[in-house]
Amino acid sequence: MTITITVNGKQYRRDVAEHRTLLHFIRQDLGLTGTKESCGAGECGACTVIMDGKSVKSCMILAAEADGSVIETIEGEAHDNELSPIQKAFEKHHAVQCGFCTPGMIMSVKDLIRRNPHPDRQQIIHGIEGNFCRCTGYEQIIEAVEEVAGTRTEKGELDYV
Amino acid sequence: MVQEFKYVAPATLDELLRFLSEKAEQGERAIVINGGTDLLVSIRAGLAAPDYVVDMKKIPDLHEIRFDATDGLSIGATVTINELLESEVVEKQYSVLYAGAKTLADHQLRNRATVTGNLVTASPCGDTTSPLLTLKAALVIRSASGSRKMLISEFITGVKKTALKPDEIVEKIIIPAASAGAAGGYKKLKRIKGHDLGLVMVAMYKKGDEIRFSIGSAAPRPVLLEGIKPGTPVATVQKMAQDAISPIDDVRASAEYRRAMVDTYVAQLMEEVK
Repeated sequence: MTITITVNGKQYRRDVAEHRTLLHFIRQDLGLTGTKESCGAGECGACTVIMDGKSVKSCMILAAEADGSVIETIEGEAHDNELSPIQKAFEKHHAVQCGFCTPGMIMSVKDLIRRNPHPDRQQIIHGIEGNFCRCTGYEQIIEAVEEVAGTRTEKGELDYV
Repeated sequence: MVQEFKYVAPATLDELLRFLSEKAEQGERAIVINGGTDLLVSIRAGLAAPDYVVDMKKIPDLHEIRFDATDGLSIGATVTINELLESEVVEKQYSVLYAGAKTLADHQLRNRATVTGNLVTASPCGDTTSPLLTLKAALVIRSASGSRKMLISEFITGVKKTALKPDEIVEKIIIPAASAGAAGGYKKLKRIKGHDLGLVMVAMYKKGDEIRFSIGSAAPRPVLLEGIKPGTPVATVQKMAQDAISPIDDVRASAEYRRAMVDTYVAQLMEEVK
């Protein structure tokens, strides 16, 4: 079937197999490989994108279901070689190690900050519970989000280095 | 997806029901997709092999949540868990449902997963199932040939089994007005702090001189205890719960641990829910 999807402000009209997931459509058909596949079963959050203003796991959606929708992915974050505020905070706080969870994590954080511009620590933890990170232990990610949200109250680990 | 299937997205309820009845007659497997958070996992794992995946989300009539002081709360089939949580009437009037829904999966999945889907999946660990049982919720089931109403306790017939026929859909969930305003609480045991399936969960409902409990993940179907009067000793309710459940040992927890946590949660809820 033919679907029309807007990704990061650009409209695409493509033929797609009806059983194809939105994730595979984004990665393989559109070549936007920033969005990652890990578990493929809705557990890990690596494939998180924002669809019509809501964070979703793109491995759990058919491309066909997303016909007509507006999608935001990690590729829409940086502009003119300038990182977005969330990306800058992740860099500053060393919230990226292997980097595989980062694109999905950043989309979840983006959605969280839109819903709640100043989340406290508990709200941040709750907001990113659908995104697994196996490197950082989450601490640096939480600090990065606190930085973006302006809710940092304590020194982070890196402040002592 | 490894398996191929055809995708159809009817624009009206009549069109959807006609399609399902046609395919049922022709012996083709048409499965309705709602949030898809269980169905797509099942298809990927080879546990479901539909010829057609029929999307119900493009039908506006099914996407309504409405409260009426006489008829109670009506939750349309495609209302997501997050939409339910955004409803003030759910938070204020049906607190046990609000508490359970809040613990379901994570934010991204709650943006897709639906309340109806949680019931139709009929998992023993559904986070809205136990709360809805205590609220005496019913389902409106529709097919091309008519509609019927059924209590959730009759609808779920076993692990992942329901009374739904291949040509039927659940159109909405109705929670009686009589259950509005009840106090409620929900306890869920997880292996980790983040999102997880419940190892065991207990929902409590209290209104007037009626207390109800529902226990999930401790029997093939969530169990309902009702007709408990305020002032009943904790030990008596714990005994009722222990007699009603039949937990198993599995990869996530032992039967003994589940039984012990049911006692703990019953006692905690009776202390906390006033």
